[in-house]
Amino acid sequence: MSIITIALPSKGRMKEDASAIFERAGLPIVAVGNERSYRGKVEGHDDIEIAFLSASEIAREIGAGTVDFGVTGEDLIREGLIDADAKMEIAARLGFGHADVVVAVPEIWLDVDTMADLGDVAADFRARHGRRLQIATKYWRLTQQHFSSQHGIQLYRIVESLGATEGAPAAGQADIIVDITSTGSTLKANHLKILSDGVILKSEACLVRARKSEHETDARVKKIVEAVRSAL
Amino acid sequence: MPLINMPEFSGTLLDEFAARGTARIDTPVIQPAAPFLDMAGEDLRRRIFLTESETGESLCLRPEFTIPVCLRHIENATGTPRRYGYLGEVFRQRREGDNEFYQAGIEDLGETAVATADARAVNDAAQILANLIPGRKLDVTLGDQAVFEAVVKALGLPGGWQKRLIQSFGNNAHLRQLLMTLASPQAPSGLSPELSALLAKDDAALIAHIDQTMQDTGYSTNASRSPREIAARLKEKQSLTQTRLDGSALALLTEFLSLEMPLSQAPVALAGFADAAGLALGSAIVTFEARASAMEELGMDLDKVTYRAAFGRPLDYYTGLVFEVSRDNAVLAGGGRFDRLMTLLGANEDIPAVGFSLWLDRIEQARAR
Repeated sequence: MSIITIALPSKGRMKEDASAIFERAGLPIVAVGNERSYRGKVEGHDDIEIAFLSASEIAREIGAGTVDFGVTGEDLIREGLIDADAKMEIAARLGFGHADVVVAVPEIWLDVDTMADLGDVAADFRARHGRRLQIATKYWRLTQQHFSSQHGIQLYRIVESLGATEGAPAAGQADIIVDITSTGSTLKANHLKILSDGVILKSEACLVRARKSEHETDARVKKIVEAVRSAL
Repeated sequence: MPLINMPEFSGTLLDEFAARGTARIDTPVIQPAAPFLDMAGEDLRRRIFLTESETGESLCLRPEFTIPVCLRHIENATGTPRRYGYLGEVFRQRREGDNEFYQAGIEDLGETAVATADARAVNDAAQILANLIPGRKLDVTLGDQAVFEAVVKALGLPGGWQKRLIQSFGNNAHLRQLLMTLASPQAPSGLSPELSALLAKDDAALIAHIDQTMQDTGYSTNASRSPREIAARLKEKQSLTQTRLDGSALALLTEFLSLEMPLSQAPVALAGFADAAGLALGSAIVTFEARASAMEELGMDLDKVTYRAAFGRPLDYYTGLVFEVSRDNAVLAGGGRFDRLMTLLGANEDIPAVGFSLWLDRIEQARAR
């Protein structure tokens, strides 16, 4: 019988919360070898293998179909995969790892509350400042979809930011940001505000299934999904 | 570049360009990416092939010719007017069709006789295609950004709304959305009591308040938007939200956008529209008429050219004429006037510009059929 591979986050709160859910689902996960091993198995199920990966790698492996299931944030799935819905199915929303991907601008931009306001500012930016409006983000794809497809805003440039994105506007590296926030406190501390229609995605940790044809006839796939859902 | 890959009619095409008095120009295949992303927007990023130099400069495979030709013109400082002809490979990530294909075209830079230069561009594209695909029906469609801008301005909307409408010209879904917003009453904007109080005061106090807050919160006042800019737009926005397009103005705008007719009838129809609506469309109409007559003088049959009022391109460097030549709904040539592009790319003075490009892969298919 073929092995079913489930990719789980390799560290931190996400790892603990995911393990707890699998435990409650009757699929207790144990590390193979020592505690820090990146391979695991499910007690009593020799046909299930656990791969501990970083959250963004999980999105990639789901997209490539090299794992059957993964637990990761919806933001990383939607950012990491083209045509995400054709490649994966969200089998369960797990109720932890809540975070929103948002458009945030400096609080002092008193005239900007909506994407339409931002569109006005972006349209004039080049004429006023000799450059396009700059957005610091690591979410290239989500930003493009939200700005271009949903709000018809084309005239901006993305500045890649891999960390401390909230600091970019005050530091002068960018004008605004698209970033993830859970409580909003970091945004507030950096004097940024979320636009009223600036929530791009309400993300949380999900059990994601790679769409593979062999899953259709595999009863174990359905069982895993049901077990995890019953543990929520 | 392996010559055997070139479309078999490449030689004919280059002869056409030469006969039309253009100078052949070539540009490097590897280009700095920034000008393309700056001009066309970030959306282009997933449609081009990007790479990086060792020093971290963002480079791309040439996705089109207009920007490289304009940059080369500025670099060479050869003076204007100049007409360039190009033919070469371009590279784009496409869902359908190859990722590398040939484009050719003419860029006419610095010709101040705008109407005749426009007419020549449309005529060149249409004639070259007629020669390459003889005996087949080609559809020529023409639009004019300047006429739309004149209509919007004549309607007397606040500046902010004019900008929004003009910016979305050519993006019909977005434009419809804007018109709907304009037609319905605006929700009052949620200004805090302090802010309302500040707005009631004079500009200087508002600017000083913004400046002080920026200093207190560590936002430098020169790198991004200035207190003056924020204050000015805040006032403008107040007038924006209070604006509601009255029914007749909205009907006029909608009526204008639905205009579609043979170009031969368009000047009269536009003049009639302006008269009936009581709008003064000024020089936009004059240029439109002059272009149409110039096209006729060049021997074009204006009954066979379609004018569509809503036809435009939502890029901020297009300023007037836009046109397409297509066959069976496949666009074989696209062109237009981009008077703002040269200064955006770094030219020291305004250089009027008009041009078109031919999609050689589609022309090849059309010839085969």
